[in-house]
Amino acid sequence: MSQNESPTSARVLIVDDDENTLEILRRWLAKEGYTTVSAADGQQCLDALAKEEFDIVLLDVMMPGVDGMQVCERMRANPEWRTIPVILLTAKDDMETRTRGMALGVSEYLTKPINKQELFSRLRAQAHTRELDRRMDRTAAAIAEMGDD
Amino acid sequence: MAVTMENFVIKGSHPVMEKILQVAQKVASTDSTVMIQGESGTGKELIARYIHAYSRRANQPFIAVNCGAIPPDLLESEMFGHERGAFTGAVGARMGMFQLASGGTIFLDEIGEMTSTLQVKLLRVLQEREIRPVGADRTVKVDVRVVAATNRDLAMEVEKGRFREDLYYRLQVIPVLLPPLRERRSDIPVLVQHFLDKYNAKHDSRRCTIADDAMVHLWEYDWPGNVRELENLVERLVVLSEDAYVQVDHLPPNIRSFISEKKIPRPSLTEEGIDLNKAVEEFEYRLIDEALRRTKGNKQAAARLLGLKRTTLVAKLRRKGGGANQAEGYLI
Ligand SMILES: Nc1ncnc2c1ncn2[C@@H]1O[C@H](COP(=O)(O)OP(=O)(O)O)[C@@H](O)[C@H]1O
Ligand SMILES: [Mg+2]
Repeated sequence: MSQNESPTSARVLIVDDDENTLEILRRWLAKEGYTTVSAADGQQCLDALAKEEFDIVLLDVMMPGVDGMQVCERMRANPEWRTIPVILLTAKDDMETRTRGMALGVSEYLTKPINKQELFSRLRAQAHTRELDRRMDRTAAAIAEMGDD
Repeated sequence: MAVTMENFVIKGSHPVMEKILQVAQKVASTDSTVMIQGESGTGKELIARYIHAYSRRANQPFIAVNCGAIPPDLLESEMFGHERGAFTGAVGARMGMFQLASGGTIFLDEIGEMTSTLQVKLLRVLQEREIRPVGADRTVKVDVRVVAATNRDLAMEVEKGRFREDLYYRLQVIPVLLPPLRERRSDIPVLVQHFLDKYNAKHDSRRCTIADDAMVHLWEYDWPGNVRELENLVERLVVLSEDAYVQVDHLPPNIRSFISEKKIPRPSLTEEGIDLNKAVEEFEYRLIDEALRRTKGNKQAAARLLGLKRTTLVAKLRRKGGGANQAEGYLI
């Protein structure tokens, strides 16, 4: 439907322990109009989630300390975070990791090397669903108001 | 989450779908007009039937009209009926769908396809709650709940002047927005299991299950035909599976190759030849990635695995981060 929408203003949390990757992603997304916050590991990611609201999390899997899968688990267990779409960006190109991601309810799975256009199209898709989600909140509010009358 | 009515079930685990089902449940008990927007096969008609089934109109008719499938010059009489002799071929008077749906729900599917003349007439019906059969000089009161659906972006259609703004706002009282399946992948495993159960039961003795990696392939596929395409495939898999265990090999080739095509194709020597330097560089990067993966990102250990000095590896990593591959549009 709205796959080719104009540049988005979605807020994206980028998480990768590799400085280079983080910086390239930040530049790519900024150019596309996304607002980004960077986190260098899983713990920083959780801290950022606790502090501000995000529309999408771009998440590396292999990181020291709290890794990407653990971040997913914590996000799923948190009522406020469980609805935030997670796009896994990982060098792990195997079925086990994919199966785990799927079981943890991630939204997308992209293997490194990442194709830029592919990443953008997945980001747009998740930003789109996020927008639908917000509009469904408005619909729910409209119905609640009807009930009050 | 699952909502079951006699003969239909809506399945989903994605947060948006949970929200949509809550809205559908709540709106069912009202008489509000509902507008469902979503690509073909996302479950618009299912939601419409669900809303009807949960409404006080449940024991009255649910009538579906596909506005896109009926020729425009016939649609008016289909919807509102006609008098005898109203047009050539109208040998007798006939009731329209609105009257047939009396007391119940009318589902106006593909409403974006309606001509502007008919849009005006429909707007009147929604305002006055009465219809005028083609060729009739009287109007008839109707008590019908309207649920409309479209696969178009109606707001855009309004902007382009193809859909009346006043009708749009009449219909848009309760908008329900169904995302395509590829935007809510977490629904896929739930739906696959649901359709396996459904078609196992239909083909009585079957106990078909699916392998994890086959499920992953279904999960990663983009499903242009949405849930309908998924359902059709699962039925085919159940019917065709010989050992009742669906594996990757049993999946259609386009789904099987989907994961690998998302990535850069492996370099191979073709008629046109290749850029050897670039291919070698890519091969190098893949091995470096693999080494870092195995050593959990420890550069010293990765360098040892590759027979490199740590400084050489770090230099290569720096190059790969901001080097040629980035210009190609890839990130490694
Ligand atoms: N969430 C769902 N749970 C179970 N079945 C579904 C779901 N969504 C769609 N389906 C099934 O997929 C098929 C297509 O759905 P349908 O409502 O006809 O889509 P649309 O009207 O949007 O084209 C139907 O057989 C429907 O029962
Ligand atoms: Mg349909």
